[in-house]
Amino acid sequence: MQAYIIRRVIGAVFVVFLVGTFSFFAIRVLPGDFATASLGLDAGSASAENIQQRRADLGLDKPIGEQYAVWLWDTVRLDLGDSFLTQNTVWYEIGRSLPYSIELGVLIMIVGFTVAIPVGLLSAIFQDKLADYTLRGLAILALAAPVFWTAAIASLVVLQWDLFLIDVIGQPHLWEDPERAITWYLIPMFAGGFAGTATTMRLLRSQMLEVLRQDYVRTARAKGLRESVVIIRHALRNALLPVLTVMGVTIATIIGSQVILENMFNIPGIGNKVLTSLFARDNPVFQSVVLIIAVFTVLTNLVVDILYGVIDPRIRLS
Amino acid sequence: MTQTLDPTVVPLRDPTLLDRSRGAARSLARFMRGKPLGGSGLIVVVLFILVALLAGVIQRHDPDEIFETPNPDYKANPSTLELARNPDIGSPVLVSQFEEPGGDHWFGTDKFGRDIWSQVVHGARLSLIVGLGASVIAVVGGLIIGMISAYYAGIVDLLIQRIVDMLQAIPFLVLVLVFTQITERSVFNVVLWLGVAGLAITTRLIRSAVFAVRESEFVLAARVVGASDLRIMVRHVLPNVVAVLIIAFSIGIGAYILAEASISFLGAGPQGIPSWGQMVQAGRGSLDLHPWQTVFAGGAIMLIVLGFNLLGDALRDVLDPRLRGA
Repeated sequence: MQAYIIRRVIGAVFVVFLVGTFSFFAIRVLPGDFATASLGLDAGSASAENIQQRRADLGLDKPIGEQYAVWLWDTVRLDLGDSFLTQNTVWYEIGRSLPYSIELGVLIMIVGFTVAIPVGLLSAIFQDKLADYTLRGLAILALAAPVFWTAAIASLVVLQWDLFLIDVIGQPHLWEDPERAITWYLIPMFAGGFAGTATTMRLLRSQMLEVLRQDYVRTARAKGLRESVVIIRHALRNALLPVLTVMGVTIATIIGSQVILENMFNIPGIGNKVLTSLFARDNPVFQSVVLIIAVFTVLTNLVVDILYGVIDPRIRLS
Repeated sequence: MTQTLDPTVVPLRDPTLLDRSRGAARSLARFMRGKPLGGSGLIVVVLFILVALLAGVIQRHDPDEIFETPNPDYKANPSTLELARNPDIGSPVLVSQFEEPGGDHWFGTDKFGRDIWSQVVHGARLSLIVGLGASVIAVVGGLIIGMISAYYAGIVDLLIQRIVDMLQAIPFLVLVLVFTQITERSVFNVVLWLGVAGLAITTRLIRSAVFAVRESEFVLAARVVGASDLRIMVRHVLPNVVAVLIIAFSIGIGAYILAEASISFLGAGPQGIPSWGQMVQAGRGSLDLHPWQTVFAGGAIMLIVLGFNLLGDALRDVLDPRLRGA
């Protein structure tokens, strides 16, 4: 078991290192850098000297190998540098934006799972009945609808019937001003949850169908257990495991839709930071937020893999 | 099998061709009956392909044409006071912006007085090119890389798998946003980068399929008689992973269409061509009063993705029931 965990951890660290290296080179391969982006080279308004000066200030004029070595050494020591754009440390920027993303991400997951689990369950229990077809149809729709469109249509509904105020003043956290914060998060969390539900629901349904045919379910029924106990304690618990194994993918998908939703609803989270730092060529912030996102998904995968290995010894050996 | 005994049938120059097309028609009919959802997906896809091909015919208006209506309050040489009250009074025509759907403009007009129906019709072209093109690139690339990875195993496989892990640790949308910024955002480049971003998924899928085939006895037999690696790959492995290739191709299309719509929505999509994602964004400025541009463009995205997903699901069930629910 120990060897398995060590192997997994080394693999995860290597993947995070690759992601960091990728984002380091990606942001530098893109045309333009922060000097040209901030001084507006394309308009011809900045002189070549100004740009050279700015580059030297930011350390962008050094050879790329040297920059990479510096970045690697700093990152290993957890020094992420300063944002080109705001001059604040990257840690400060992340500290400010990460709570928003975690709030929204958790809300999206809560909505997603509270919808997906009962829906997947019902769909499997009533296999090939009307309820099954309706729910599966909804899941297929949810998978096809772009998240920004669902959010836009939801906003439209709210605006048309004047349900609540969409434009929230300030950027309240849930623990600061729960009422205003929840009205702010309401549309993005349902749009994101709706989009995230479909895959989970379909996976859970197919797993349930398989589990319900297993011998131990028949045994449980033969023992005369109540149907609800059979379904929830015997079938659902086993059907949920594969759903958890794809958590890493689920989280990556949710973060992807958060990039769009945070942009649409002016939520200053990590997803928003990805966009602004990418377009402004704010290298230190971009590298760091991509790295943080990768750490999140890789860590989820790692925890799931290890837990799975604990539960199922066959996996450890493969 | 499908030999015809009817003497009235005029023999074609190539009878096998006739047989084959009949067989295709028959299996199509069987597919439509057995998989009604997949069949309806196929119909949706075919409809969109027709719309895209015939966009110039069914557009009714040029998508860039700006419509104007006579100004009822028009007055030549207005006084300064009148101009202050109504700044438009001096122009004989007004841009007919935000017209409701119906009449000459089936889907209404947008903020700039352009016909939304013709824009939506032309938007089908981009979505189809993106979906099909990117999926072809991802599958062909994934086939090459996946085969190398699975066949040579060892250190090559390990390295490729870690790179795939890396690409999958980054949200697909972020990957696409970064890639498409590298080059000019022409349609071709965006399609190319979407396909490259999709390589991670197709490589993984195809690799595991090749792995399974590699272990089979006919590959061992081929190796025993001294067949070269290339020959084993092309003659023995490839034909046995075709089903997986078709599945990977068809289930990817919807995702690429959504990704293009998303980056276009964020203002980073291909330039110089009508895009549904960009139209959803454009319509958001006046969503509460004039939602039609957003509603129709977004509805079109959902419908085309729905069509491809339904078709892909059905194809997967038919070709490889083991992958159901994957």
